[in-house]
Amino acid sequence: MKKQSIISDFLALRGMGQVFTVTVGLLVLFAVFSCINYNFCSERNISNLLRQLAPILLIGIGQAYVLITGNIDLSIGSVVGMSCMISATLMSHGMDVNAALAITLVSCLAVGLLNGLLVAACKIPPFIATLGTMTVCRGIAQIVNHNLNTDAIGPAADWFRNLFYYGSFRIGDFNVYNTVWIAFVIFLVFNFVLSKTRTGRHMYAIGSNPEAAKLSGVDVAATTIKAYLVAAFCSCVVGLITCATAGQGTMDAGNMYEMYAVAAAVIGGVSTLGGTGLLSGVIVGAGIWGVLQNGLQFAGAPVAIRNIVIGVIVVISVLLDVIIRTGQKKAS
Amino acid sequence: MSHIVKTFPGVRALDDVSFNLKSGEVLALLGENGAGKSTLMKILRGVQGRDSGEMIIFGKPCGDLTPQSAAALGIAMIHQELNMCGHLTVAENIFLGREPMKGMVVDRRKMNEETREVLARLNMDISPDTVVGNLAVSKQQMVEIAKALSADAEILIMDEPTSALTAKEIEDLFEIIRKLRSEGKGIVYISHRLEELEHIADRVTIMRDGKYISSSDFKDTTMDSIIADMVGREITEKFPKARCERGKKILEVKRLSAGKAVKDVSFDLYEGEILGVAGLMGAGRTEMTRALFGADKKDSGEVVLDGKTLKINSPRDAIKAGIVLAPEDRKKDGLCTRLPVRENISLPNLDMLSNLFGKVNRRKEADMVSHAVSDFKIKLPTPEVDADTLSGGNQQKVVVAKWLSGHSRVVIFDEPTRGIDVAAKVEIYRLMNELKLAGMGVMFVSSEMPEVMGVSDRIIVMCGGRVTGEMMAEDATQEEILRRATDFSRKEATDQ
Repeated sequence: MKKQSIISDFLALRGMGQVFTVTVGLLVLFAVFSCINYNFCSERNISNLLRQLAPILLIGIGQAYVLITGNIDLSIGSVVGMSCMISATLMSHGMDVNAALAITLVSCLAVGLLNGLLVAACKIPPFIATLGTMTVCRGIAQIVNHNLNTDAIGPAADWFRNLFYYGSFRIGDFNVYNTVWIAFVIFLVFNFVLSKTRTGRHMYAIGSNPEAAKLSGVDVAATTIKAYLVAAFCSCVVGLITCATAGQGTMDAGNMYEMYAVAAAVIGGVSTLGGTGLLSGVIVGAGIWGVLQNGLQFAGAPVAIRNIVIGVIVVISVLLDVIIRTGQKKAS
Repeated sequence: MSHIVKTFPGVRALDDVSFNLKSGEVLALLGENGAGKSTLMKILRGVQGRDSGEMIIFGKPCGDLTPQSAAALGIAMIHQELNMCGHLTVAENIFLGREPMKGMVVDRRKMNEETREVLARLNMDISPDTVVGNLAVSKQQMVEIAKALSADAEILIMDEPTSALTAKEIEDLFEIIRKLRSEGKGIVYISHRLEELEHIADRVTIMRDGKYISSSDFKDTTMDSIIADMVGREITEKFPKARCERGKKILEVKRLSAGKAVKDVSFDLYEGEILGVAGLMGAGRTEMTRALFGADKKDSGEVVLDGKTLKINSPRDAIKAGIVLAPEDRKKDGLCTRLPVRENISLPNLDMLSNLFGKVNRRKEADMVSHAVSDFKIKLPTPEVDADTLSGGNQQKVVVAKWLSGHSRVVIFDEPTRGIDVAAKVEIYRLMNELKLAGMGVMFVSSEMPEVMGVSDRIIVMCGGRVTGEMMAEDATQEEILRRATDFSRKEATDQ
């Protein structure tokens, strides 16, 4: 009896229950696609699949931080585009790669800071504030290279492309691309911050009840800004990955990513109302997103069908959560 | 209404209350906070059911009313907090839910026409097209009255209608109440401001602790006997009181003002003392503590702690200095209800529990939480359950326990015993005594007089945002406190 309650408490904490549910869903999907096409579960495809979903995991982490604080960041996709275009423009004009990366990072973090200030200090509803910065950042992504995609970023940036895209470390015979490693390390760092540190606790507290958090001495504004900085940092890295992948800057890089980020986070059990959610859930959420994209592609479904399926999955996963939760409430 | 009984879990909110109202009269319904006035009116209005007793309205016995059937009988309530859709126009609000139709569409002309008529009856000069949110509070209240009239209300219940009005606006309201009375409406008037009664009340009914006490014609009674009936209980509950020597002055608040609710408040607090802050609802006590704690902006004033003047701009500053607040509304301000109890208790103490890099030490945290749970006798399966799964009393203990582990100098309790059972109340009193014995200064805000008098060493009384009285607990009487808590609004009215 006692043991059971400990398990159910564990499952209730921060939406751990939903993480388990969707993990089962992920395994089922995986099995289904493997049955449809045996090549789907080949080592080669899985290694590609992981590389595809790494950017979704990263933006999902960023969005999860913001959602947990009870806000939303719509500028994620545009910051990805901005990061891609700024870095590529600077590099293709021959700037030192390190300097280019530093400038890119600073400008992305500036957007994060601005988002945080608009929401926390100016009290603009986050949906509106980041809708504004989303549009502005997309404009910046377009204007940095005079409304053109950039030229190739040049041989000086080869190490950068290798680091963010081509390179890989093998685990035994299994090829794991650097992109995946980068995403994994960033995940470990931010998972540590969120689950183990004071700052992480503050994130959940202001998302659960900002007034109670404030009266407990939490600096609500500073914590909100930190969450937006995390989102901007993750978006920046994804932009660099996109740049390294194509070897040039494309103006519509990251288009719609803010929504994919919401999808990955929400499928993984992060509540849009704030206060609950786990980054391990975001891994599963991004996994479902990646498996669907890749699996449907293998099964020969056109892009349009993939979009429809993913949209439906987002709504169903949240609906399931709502049904389970109201059921629990009635039971207790 | 006769022999009405209403029980809530653990509390008998109404106990055999009888009450009658005639048409063409203004009946003042009086009683302290928690006397059961609002519950009685909610039953009449159909918002809540009753356990037993009968209601006869216009000669007909009625079963349990719903808000709809009560409205159909002509019962309307003007709420303390206005219930209006601020973005809609006056006419839209008045006809909300019963819009006149012309085929498929709302007949705007007719709606505005009738709105104009009913506003004219109230001598109101506002356009039906005005957006309600743009009106002053007093005008919004008139619109609410107009809404009741246009729905042919025969019985109007007014709950604290004057609490947000200026003296001039109150005069206008009284004019309208007299007019409605002359039209034969029955009006129930609930107010804490006794001095208003002489202007309008025909009869008074007094309730206390969920019981009917007395009913009499206003002209046959005196203010003193009304007050005596309102408070007239012996203190039956036992309050634990720890004796200890009052130490040196810890806290000095000088001329604190914040917004409209707190005006020029000064008081001192000593080591080893519980300072009770008494007053009626809306007296500005909560606002005063929030301003002191830095949760709301203060306009002026000085806070001196242990001889040092403090700069408190946020709760963070206050907590660092050693002033903590257990707020009034647990769910709204006190707890992160969807987080585990463990995290709620450790939230204000994370600085102590984490290392240089901010990593929270889970072992220290678990120690602290288990101490808090056993010290406060918080009943829970494990500290991992969400805070909102606990009972009210246990939630309140969590709100208080958050602060125990810190190095606080001053602890402010705002209505810590509201809505919790007697045993939990005694735990809270015991706890305040422990803090006092440990040499802290304790502020205890409460609307329940026996409790303030029983637990505090010294009492300040607030009214209209000001301190209107100060006394030692052993010299205090309920009559004296109530007089201090009400008389100021009269003075203020004549000031203006």
